[in-house]
Amino acid sequence: MTKFLAVCSTGLGSSFMVHMNIEQVLKELGIAGIDVDHADLGSVSPDSADAIFVGRDIAEAASGLGDVVVLDSIIDLNELKTKVAEAATRHGHSA
Amino acid sequence: MLTQYLTEETFLFADDVPGWREAIEIVAAPLADSGAIGRDYIDAMLESIAAPGGTYIDLGFGIALAHARPERGVVRTALSALRVRPDVLLNDEEAHPIALFFCLAAADAESHLAAMASLARLLSNEPARNALLAAHDSADALAVLKTGDDQ
Repeated sequence: MTKFLAVCSTGLGSSFMVHMNIEQVLKELGIAGIDVDHADLGSVSPDSADAIFVGRDIAEAASGLGDVVVLDSIIDLNELKTKVAEAATRHGHSA
Repeated sequence: MLTQYLTEETFLFADDVPGWREAIEIVAAPLADSGAIGRDYIDAMLESIAAPGGTYIDLGFGIALAHARPERGVVRTALSALRVRPDVLLNDEEAHPIALFFCLAAADAESHLAAMASLARLLSNEPARNALLAAHDSADALAVLKTGDDQ
């Protein structure tokens, strides 16, 4: 199964918000078959997920983790919807 | 959920706050006064924001969610908010102007996630977010939160 992972420094705060919002957006887009979770940056490796969603502040620290999607805002559902749809398409899911 | 934590005592408004450190002190004050957090928690938030990448608490739209780990002095789960006019720069960085600070203190992982989920739902809802940012006093702000709680 395709896996999307929301990542922040602590794995406690913003990554959980992004995790929730990715699930909501996938539902709105009608895309199934993608597992979503959240984690802290330190515990993530390139094979942790198919796509990793991060805020812009840890974009640099997260580079090298494979397909990294950088979000300008973690509460902007319009931005997230676009980027989730693109990532889903890259990994073989269509809206 | 949110109106359980955010009240007239914990949803604050301040004009001309000199900087982000002062904003954190102001938003955390009601939680420290009520005994929900110790001084260490305020220091932990200040350290976290000043650390590399610490401005990740900027959620976008001028909203920041200050928090630190429970073991740094959380006594019980609590939440407060501070609307500042004009914006202050988080960690003095031009890229991070903040109008609305939240301060979250979670006593355990479960209550942390419940509070985060409520906040995420509220702040990701564009009309609610705009209404909250437009509020000029706690009565306005609490009315927006109540609408969110009712949904």
